[in-house]
Amino acid sequence: MHRAAHTAVYSCSKIVGPAMIRQCLKCRVPQQLSSRAYSVVPTPRDSEEKEMLHRILRVDHAGEYGANRIYAGQMAVLGRSSLGPLIQEMWDQEKVHLAKFNEILAESRVRPTALLPFWNIAGFVLGASSALLGKEGAMACTVAVEESISEHYNSQIRALMEEDPDRYTELLQVIKEFRDDEIEHHDTGLEHDAESVPGYWILKNAIQLGCKAAIYASQRI
Amino acid sequence: MAALLRALRVGRALRGLGSVVSAPAAQPPCSSLTRGFHRAALRLQDESKADKPPSSSPSSTPYHEHYRAHSAEQEAAGAPQEHSASEPAAEEASRPNTSYQDQSGEQGEEYETEEQLQARILTAGLEFIPLHGWTVEAIAAGAEMLGLSSASTGMFYNGAGDLVLHFVSQCNSQLTDILAEQHNQIQLGQAEPKKPAEFLRDAVEIRLRMYIPYIETWPQAMSILLLPHNIPDSLKHLSTLVDDMWYYAGDRSTDMNWYTKRAALTGIYNTTELVMLQDSSSDFQDTWDFLDNRIQDVVNMATTAKQVQATGETVVQGLMGAAVTLKNLTGLNQRR
Repeated sequence: MHRAAHTAVYSCSKIVGPAMIRQCLKCRVPQQLSSRAYSVVPTPRDSEEKEMLHRILRVDHAGEYGANRIYAGQMAVLGRSSLGPLIQEMWDQEKVHLAKFNEILAESRVRPTALLPFWNIAGFVLGASSALLGKEGAMACTVAVEESISEHYNSQIRALMEEDPDRYTELLQVIKEFRDDEIEHHDTGLEHDAESVPGYWILKNAIQLGCKAAIYASQRI
Repeated sequence: MAALLRALRVGRALRGLGSVVSAPAAQPPCSSLTRGFHRAALRLQDESKADKPPSSSPSSTPYHEHYRAHSAEQEAAGAPQEHSASEPAAEEASRPNTSYQDQSGEQGEEYETEEQLQARILTAGLEFIPLHGWTVEAIAAGAEMLGLSSASTGMFYNGAGDLVLHFVSQCNSQLTDILAEQHNQIQLGQAEPKKPAEFLRDAVEIRLRMYIPYIETWPQAMSILLLPHNIPDSLKHLSTLVDDMWYYAGDRSTDMNWYTKRAALTGIYNTTELVMLQDSSSDFQDTWDFLDNRIQDVVNMATTAKQVQATGETVVQGLMGAAVTLKNLTGLNQRR
């Protein structure tokens, strides 16, 4: 039955005319033979777009992976304190983000960054060491990282909107949703006395510098 | 007179805005023979398309839809070749008309881009590899067979490298065609999904069999691919090949496994290719046995790695248990 339906559709497309299709294809506009099904990322039209999309997805995946590990490090130290449930909740949200990006990466055949093992260790160390500075230290780390990430998501949203907002609607939706979550984490951190840690300004800037370097590296490697 | 015509032809070919012009006078009288050569030359491309079922099958992932558009596009690239093979006279007559009128970029039915032309010439040149080897002479002979001047080899800045790279990329697309087809069959429920090891074994065999017609001269081609200016391109082809094979084998990993799997398959593929070069058994049976063994090695290694990891975890748990017991015994675990 399945087969009959498909042969019917095929013969329909034949009626359209192979010549017309050939002409369309020669014009280098890839014919979208059916709807995009459910896919967040549109199929790239040329290698430039592919490069851009892959970079965006690669660095976002790396970012969520790193954030995951940071919260894991914080939980390892502060898991049994009063801040435990809060950190766990934020960690669970990051897990959801990571799962979503894993799905998108697999679907779009994007190469994950080769620096993943490095972010694995670095993220855990950052989370654990900031937690060792106390609850405020952990919150300050959260504030710094989440601010970096939301700024980064915002610039991606801007870039995609500049390119073609209609083409990237689903992807923009996903990024916007995640950015809103990250801003919420940022605000939570501020609410929990992040700024009262001694050396807040230095800590925050150092972490943000590290995040910028990580983003730069993950886009390329 | 003939020389003048030739010069005109060369001039137009070089000056043309990507459109193809071949003087009607150059049409060989024995067009059926040319057609035969064309058909033979296109054999490689047409093989996988011969029994291609309907293109609109329910591919579950968007990548397949994109892939379908791509393969249809390549079919369109192949179509002008078939078109020209079957109606050389008609196309000759219409082409000079469209070549000057289509300068605005409005693509008429007969318009052919420079890339398509180059692809056509290189594919035709493949016929002459046994005779000339992987050289510019083969490309020139291919161009002449298509009725173009042998000076059109000037289009190919990389010379023999272009020929080899074109062949490699052609083989890769054929393989992707076949693998996507198998994937569709599985999606439609008409075939059983294979285990990754078996799938990869078959995929590598299919891909290496494409070299059999050229196996005598393949060492020359490999050495061309190893020239420094060709290495980036050949590595790119190799990496897309391996990525495709793993994708269709079902790999969807997004961590370091992505890299280790591809590295393993690259190693297997390269060593098997080298073994094939000096294999003299019937139908390359030794090569396929070698391939079997290498894949088995990798599978064993993966199993061993998993076992080691499981053992390691168990050992760690045991040590933690011992430490806790010790703390209990010495009374350090009391909370006062």
